[in-house]
Amino acid sequence: MEKTIYIRATIIISAIILLLKVAQLQLFDSRTRTSAQAAALSKQVQYPSRGLMFDRNGNLLVYNDALYDILVVYNNVNPAIDTALFCKLLEIDQDTYIKRLNRDWRNPQFSKNVEFVFLSKVSSKIYGRFQEHLFEFPGFRARLRNVRGYQFPGAAHVLGFINEVDQSFLDNHPDEYESGDFTGITGLENSYEKELRGAKGYKYILKDNLGREVGPYEEGRLDSSAVPGYDLITTLDIDLQMYAEQLMKNKIGGIVGIEPSSGEILCMQSSPSWDPNDLTIHKYRTERFEELLKDTLDPFFDRTVMAQYPPGSIFKMVVGLIALQEEVTHPNQFISCNGTYHNTKRDIRKCRNHPAPYNMSIALQYSCNSYFFELFKNVVDKYGYNQAERGLDNFHNYLKNFGFGATLSLDHFNEKPGFIPDSRFYSKTHPNLRSPNIVSLGIGQGELQMTNLQMANLAAILANRGSFITPHLLKSFRDAPQKLSEKATSKRSVRIAEHHFIPIIAGMQEVVNSGTGRSAKIDGIQVCGKTGTVENSHGKDHSVFLAFAPVENPQIALAVYVENSGGGSRYAAPIAGLLIEKYLNKTISISKEPLEQRLLETNLLPSVTAP
Amino acid sequence: MAKPIAHVKSFDWLTLVLYLSLVAIGGLMIYAAEYKVDDSGIFHFTWSSAIGKQIMWTAISLAVFVVTYFIDSKFWSTFAYPIYFIAMVLLVLVLLVGSTIKGSTSWFSFFGFSFQPAEFGKVGAALALASYLSYHKTSLKVTKHILISCAIFFFPAMLILLQPDAGSALVFMSFFIIMFREGLSPYLYLIMFCLIGLFLGSLVIPIFSVFLILLLIANAFLITLLKDNSTPILLTFGAVLIVSLIALFTNLAFELLIVNILIFIAFGGMLLRQGKFKPLFIIIPTLLFAGGLAFSSLYMFENVLEPHQQDRINVWLRPNLSDPQGSLYNVRQSKLAIVSGGLKGKGFLNGTLTKLNYVPEQSTDFIFSTIGEEQGLLGAFGIIVIFVLLMLRITVIAERSRLPFGRIFSYGVAGILFFHFFINIGMTMGLVPVIGIPLPFISKGGTSLLAFSILIAIILRLDSQRFSL
Repeated sequence: MEKTIYIRATIIISAIILLLKVAQLQLFDSRTRTSAQAAALSKQVQYPSRGLMFDRNGNLLVYNDALYDILVVYNNVNPAIDTALFCKLLEIDQDTYIKRLNRDWRNPQFSKNVEFVFLSKVSSKIYGRFQEHLFEFPGFRARLRNVRGYQFPGAAHVLGFINEVDQSFLDNHPDEYESGDFTGITGLENSYEKELRGAKGYKYILKDNLGREVGPYEEGRLDSSAVPGYDLITTLDIDLQMYAEQLMKNKIGGIVGIEPSSGEILCMQSSPSWDPNDLTIHKYRTERFEELLKDTLDPFFDRTVMAQYPPGSIFKMVVGLIALQEEVTHPNQFISCNGTYHNTKRDIRKCRNHPAPYNMSIALQYSCNSYFFELFKNVVDKYGYNQAERGLDNFHNYLKNFGFGATLSLDHFNEKPGFIPDSRFYSKTHPNLRSPNIVSLGIGQGELQMTNLQMANLAAILANRGSFITPHLLKSFRDAPQKLSEKATSKRSVRIAEHHFIPIIAGMQEVVNSGTGRSAKIDGIQVCGKTGTVENSHGKDHSVFLAFAPVENPQIALAVYVENSGGGSRYAAPIAGLLIEKYLNKTISISKEPLEQRLLETNLLPSVTAP
Repeated sequence: MAKPIAHVKSFDWLTLVLYLSLVAIGGLMIYAAEYKVDDSGIFHFTWSSAIGKQIMWTAISLAVFVVTYFIDSKFWSTFAYPIYFIAMVLLVLVLLVGSTIKGSTSWFSFFGFSFQPAEFGKVGAALALASYLSYHKTSLKVTKHILISCAIFFFPAMLILLQPDAGSALVFMSFFIIMFREGLSPYLYLIMFCLIGLFLGSLVIPIFSVFLILLLIANAFLITLLKDNSTPILLTFGAVLIVSLIALFTNLAFELLIVNILIFIAFGGMLLRQGKFKPLFIIIPTLLFAGGLAFSSLYMFENVLEPHQQDRINVWLRPNLSDPQGSLYNVRQSKLAIVSGGLKGKGFLNGTLTKLNYVPEQSTDFIFSTIGEEQGLLGAFGIIVIFVLLMLRITVIAERSRLPFGRIFSYGVAGILFFHFFINIGMTMGLVPVIGIPLPFISKGGTSLLAFSILIAIILRLDSQRFSL
């Protein structure tokens, strides 16, 4: 009987071992549970369509173009298919076919029953032909991916481009992106990636052990459909933008046009640029990309927000306004100028030969250097000759109100702040700072640096007589609940009384009517402007023109900066004039056509790269 | 023939209920395992489908069960050897004219039915062994009788191994349970388990660690034999023992091995000085034999076992050496299905992995994973409990049997059931190596159900006559 007990004990103990193992598996093995779900379920991604982009007048700028990934399940491929036809249709060779179809099957990462990407980025043209024969190739299927198409061959910098995410990007955004996703790399595509990209949808599909789809999981209750991205409406006026592109062809520089009343950027052109369709995702993209990267003129460098230039004479309005506000001068002040300015006994600066500056307007009209050297000194020395630091910092604070020395745009991630010096900056080089040391600042030279966008914003400030709304490119998202940020709607004051603008604007009118900016004059529209010529130690001077029009109720304010083109009156002013006329009148008057023709044909590129 | 009234009184209803409930559960589980997602709605039934065949086999099995029960109990003890002989003839015939499915020549095929004589080999061997051991002159203290008993079930096992079907052949080892009950020395079992443990242990842990363990055991044994096992000696050995056990988990095993050999020599020398030679003559050869077995086990593993058998041991003991898409696949998928069941299971016909064919051989060898997935922990517990009750009930029947034939036969059936039950359920969870044998009454496969039905019917018949002699 003792042996019976052993036998029964063996049976019971064995059963207990089995029971414990079942309990351990079914109650406590959560890790295996997760893979149990993965084994039977396949999660299929539904890609959302990316938000489109429109200009302010509803013109479509960026749309989605179809591109296909060809997917395959190895075990479902019929080995007897006509591979020659298959390869011909997809424009690949036999070796590629074999190489792409055969994975390292010993690697558990791959399975002959799991779908993988056989060929990616197949254009809709090639796919169209392939699709007709798709039924002959069991195991293969196509997945639609949206890539970008561009209606206009311009605004490349503003719109930006998208690219497939790389590993470092995935590491930084672990939950949001998966390998193979696209993301905006530059421009608005980057700045508004979150809104544009939409949300991916997922379909849970039950698959059998051969990888065949057998039906939806839980009757599709967990499925979600893709949510398309919001359509973005930009503030750009594409007609104006394209006209700016044409005018800037074969020139280096930037143009920024702003609607003063709203801060909306109407055109934003950095030159040289590229046709955005060149960088959409297609087969030849890499080559074109390399080409642009190698270009010595650096087309990817956005000269509207990344280039930091000395502003030159257009800064004189700022000096004048601050001097008036600080009450160190008055509009009718006369400062004599005989073509030179005696900064110190040994430092004598040049000015042009021009009629005597009886008041500020006339000084602006003829861009008298002596006048603004003197005003600047008055501002800096307001608290006494040996208290220049205090005066400079006071001046510096005004400049900050103008939006200088800090990034300004709401839509750029690559914007440079420019530079405005304060007393600390000079503390090393000039321990005892005196106004003559820094007098160059008075005419926009020296250490001052501004971006093209900041200059255009200055034009808007002048047009608004003392305030601005932060310039921006985003007008709205179609159907989106969210409003524009407060920054894009609220007015910022530069803290200069409105009446001080009267002599300044009068001077700017004269600049266009009978001064240095006559080439920007338009019949029937009073344009206010100011030329600038920025000394360039590396070559020909940069040409700059700042303008707004019409004088009452201004519709457009802009800054044109043309590198290495000589005086501001030669290129920047006529380009600004044409742009204003185009924007306000929609056409260019016959009398201006020869000028337009000349500008369109002008090639200012360094001779090496000229065709 | 006994009167019907006697049957009702002495009939063991509990066994019948347990048997019928297992057959019923089996039918439902096979239906669930064969049911596929695309069958949704009306199930397309045909007699040639897997379900149709199983229904027919179940009907045949129940009929044979009833017929078998009404055969006189003396028939079995009288015709045990002729039945054994017929079963052996069938096993030889199948090797000659059988059809080959999946590489094994284990089947007779006719009229679309397949018939597996190995299942009847078990019935024949159980009857013959019961007959031989119940013979009053047979004694398991006599080596010759032990060898004859073993031959009775080794012979069909060898024939089945030729098919080859190692799983079904291994089932015959369950007859050692009868041998145990009928008086074979328990020490033989102890030695057998030690050898198997040593063999498998040598595959899993480094050879130096195996040697170290053997020496530690030998040294512990020697110390008990020493006349004056004084405190310093005990302390020294205790320290070495602890350090050695720790060393098993480090790479110092080799150094500790040397230390233990020196201790062994020291203890041996002390024993010799005390004049005890005999223990050393036993311990040293045993140690050498065990060491040799440990040393050669890896060689035997790689050269004696077939590659697919090596794979199965690897899957069991060294899963990291196995290919998850290859040999590990079945067990992995089966475990996944069981895990996904959770406490309550997904419900009848709702097991996604089952429906989607994720577990290979699911209606046959891996039927337990269907239960695990669809019926959950509760269902799995239920099945295991029913099996345990049935096996325990058979031991009760065996022990109350008046004739040794009935007792031995019943233990034989209990042993076969236990082997199938533990190995089959264990392998679906990776607890034991994959040995392709069905879960009795549950797995799909007509011959298996038929053979087990006959075995149970014979037990019930033999039991029903316990008052009538």
